[in-house]
Amino acid sequence: MSQSALAVELSGIWKRFPGVIANSDINLKVASGTVHAIVGENGAGKSTLMKILYGMQKADEGTISINGTNLIFNSPSDAIDSGIGMVHQHFMLADNFTVLENIVLGSEPKNGIRLDFEKARKQISDIAAENGLAVDPDVLVSELGVGDRQRIEILKVLYRGAKILILDEPTAVLVPHEVDELFNTLRDLKKEGLTVIFISHKLDEVLSIADEITVIRQGSTVGSVNPHTQNVSARDLAEMMVGNELPNPEAVGDTIQAEVVLKVDNLAVFAKGGKAIVDDISFQIHAGEIVGIAGVEGNGQAEILDALMGIESATGRVQFKNEDITNKSTRHRRELGIGFIPEDRHRQALMLEAPLWENRMLGHQTRTPNAKGIWLTPRSAKADTKRIVEEYDVRTPSIDILASALSGGNQQKLIVGREMSGEPKLLIAAHPTRGVDVGAQAAIWDHIRHARQSGLAVLLVSADLDELIGLSDNIKVLLRGKFVADADPATVTPQELGTAMTGAGEVA
Amino acid sequence: MTYLKSRRFIGAAFTAITMLSITRTITSNGDLTSTVTIAQALVFASPIALAGLAGIWAERAGVINIGLEGMMILGTFGAGWAGWQWGVWAGVLAGVIFGAIGGLLLAVAAVTFGVDQIIAGTAINLLALGLTKFLAIVLFTDAPGGGQAQSPPIKGDIPTFTIDSIVEPLTSLHETGIFFISDLAGILAGLFYNLSLLTIITFLLFAMTSYLLWKTAFGLRLRSAGENPWAADSLGVKVVQFKYAAVVFSGMLAGLGGAYLSIASTIYRNGNTAGRGFIGLATMIFGDWRPGGTAAGALMFGYIDTLRLIDTGNQNVKGLILLGAIILFAIGGLMLRKAKRNSAIGFLLLGSVMIGAYFSATSFPPEVAQVAPYITTLLVLATASQNLRPPAADGIPYRKGDNH
Repeated sequence: MSQSALAVELSGIWKRFPGVIANSDINLKVASGTVHAIVGENGAGKSTLMKILYGMQKADEGTISINGTNLIFNSPSDAIDSGIGMVHQHFMLADNFTVLENIVLGSEPKNGIRLDFEKARKQISDIAAENGLAVDPDVLVSELGVGDRQRIEILKVLYRGAKILILDEPTAVLVPHEVDELFNTLRDLKKEGLTVIFISHKLDEVLSIADEITVIRQGSTVGSVNPHTQNVSARDLAEMMVGNELPNPEAVGDTIQAEVVLKVDNLAVFAKGGKAIVDDISFQIHAGEIVGIAGVEGNGQAEILDALMGIESATGRVQFKNEDITNKSTRHRRELGIGFIPEDRHRQALMLEAPLWENRMLGHQTRTPNAKGIWLTPRSAKADTKRIVEEYDVRTPSIDILASALSGGNQQKLIVGREMSGEPKLLIAAHPTRGVDVGAQAAIWDHIRHARQSGLAVLLVSADLDELIGLSDNIKVLLRGKFVADADPATVTPQELGTAMTGAGEVA
Repeated sequence: MTYLKSRRFIGAAFTAITMLSITRTITSNGDLTSTVTIAQALVFASPIALAGLAGIWAERAGVINIGLEGMMILGTFGAGWAGWQWGVWAGVLAGVIFGAIGGLLLAVAAVTFGVDQIIAGTAINLLALGLTKFLAIVLFTDAPGGGQAQSPPIKGDIPTFTIDSIVEPLTSLHETGIFFISDLAGILAGLFYNLSLLTIITFLLFAMTSYLLWKTAFGLRLRSAGENPWAADSLGVKVVQFKYAAVVFSGMLAGLGGAYLSIASTIYRNGNTAGRGFIGLATMIFGDWRPGGTAAGALMFGYIDTLRLIDTGNQNVKGLILLGAIILFAIGGLMLRKAKRNSAIGFLLLGSVMIGAYFSATSFPPEVAQVAPYITTLLVLATASQNLRPPAADGIPYRKGDNH
């Protein structure tokens, strides 16, 4: 087990999607027989990079070298053939198949044309015993819990003889003791001489398991550290992850008014099976105040926003101005003057196959300038769409083209423009400038600041910590569905905030 | 595992024969389990069974095939057209090929272009119906023995087998009227009386499907395309190819089912399928997307259809109503044992109503006679189809590279 031999070497990897550069000039060296962690914020390009390494996507440029040989992967089978296996973030399992069937699928042991179930059963229990991964090969996957499913995913990979394992955010779905079990398994695998590439943004976990850590920010490799020889803390890593490059989105002056616009008491959202995703949170937002929620994605942000909009069912009480809107419909809430910029614009904010002006009506379809009584008023809606296109600098040849033809950033500008129309009293915004270029980003910030001065209350969720610190009057840190800390944007640094988000330390 | 399965099969068969036997004894209607009835039931059941099997192939690979009816229609036409000119086996071949073309059409629309599968299937049904009607007018109107809506007779016959040494003693045993023994004898004799080679082929296709889809690597991969194609793709399974193969083979089976219909009635006739493609789909659901259950469902349809058609003086319909009542009582009893009181009461009440109908009426209006078989079928379907497990990604368009 030589530490110097490279199991994986990626050099100069570029990957562009329409409107986004996912990977720009990524260089990665993974020594054989180590656990190598790749950390970065959500959307930094980690998953894309791993899909390239696993042959699910092709890099636009760059080379992949496995054990010193340059290779080109056209499909996952090519990657599997060179000893690479991937445990996906979202499990790739067929629920109606047994554990055995899921594991052998695609490389079945055969006896003539017959699938040799006996041999498969023996191989699986051998591999399971060697690595301490107990499973019953004959139960249906649908009957198993998350930890078991992950073991099956790992077995799937080992069964194919993988020597290099990619684990994409494997701990995201696990409870703490399952995380410990997983880490024990990974240490065992390392002893067997396997190489593990471990993707995560939970820095405390990374520090406890990794032999080497590579940090990715905005699609590029920022640097590598060795936690054994270098003295690095979660704080240092957070600093590398977040960087300090964006324009400053500072909100000037104190505009907070006495009136409470949104009051939330004991809000909770439960997943199927009863686990609390949002766990009994309370807060309030005044007119002219921006409250920011900081947190690693997947800690309950999306559920809070959906619950406030009446999209997700929740327990607790939500009050808007003096009205109890806990049981009101989404449309009612919107008509009261709540604007909503959702996290996933394709799923929740746009009709991709409809022209821009119809998208302008969406969510405002009962109000001027889009409707009068029961009739829609396309003419004034179109005129207002033109206003948004100009004010928010939406780059489009016309307002009659389909929303799908716009780049992501321009779609986002249209959505922000729409949600800021009609003088909302409260704006619920998730990543309002995600995918938007630097200039337009500043313009959107200006619009929000301006509205704040005239009394707009804003609930802001953003992965961009500079944006969060710069805009917010108050920041709450969300971890596993709970507010774990408050931060004062006047004094907190992105590094401190990043650390608090990952649960690695307290905010000053 | 296999021991358990065969025990369950024997148990189910035993229960079914006992119920038939009780009904036969009470109604003293020997037709219910006679050799001829059973032999005819096999003929009626086979096309439905083939349609159901076709459904299994497509849906196990994740493509809903509501176009089965259309593919069957294409099969009936192919068999009539080719069978009339070049003989019965050419008819079978043409039926299979025409069905395959229907399957290919569905595969192109649903797999390659991701069209909504219900809409694509419905389009194939409409297309097949219109196209065959049009072609029948063009090709058959001036043909000797043909007409605007039907082909000339198909040349030649499919060989049938009767094994006298089995049939004759069993038939005489049937006529003794001993409880259970006599009925078992009639049913067994029916299996060896006028047995068409096509029926044997149908049986072999079922056996082959069971083996291929559940015992081989090929089958596991094909089914993975219907359960989680994204996972399959991540393991290097060529999902699109499997879907194509499955849907085209599905079309071939449906086409064969159509050919069977035309050959059984010796001509192609417009509307000969009479919805059997849909009934096949229903038997597939009844059978939980598995060959054994699908075959059982098809046999039930075939049997009830036979009773309706060979009915004299409403006696069979009366028998069916009694059979329905017995089934309801049996299920009610089962529910009582499982301590589901409310459902048990429901079943027992319904059963009593049917018993009442059986004893109070001396004859039934012809409408009831027409509908009774389907009511019985509905009852069985509704009560038997409980914990179904359809393929998880059935009907969901698959695009390679889509993140799921």
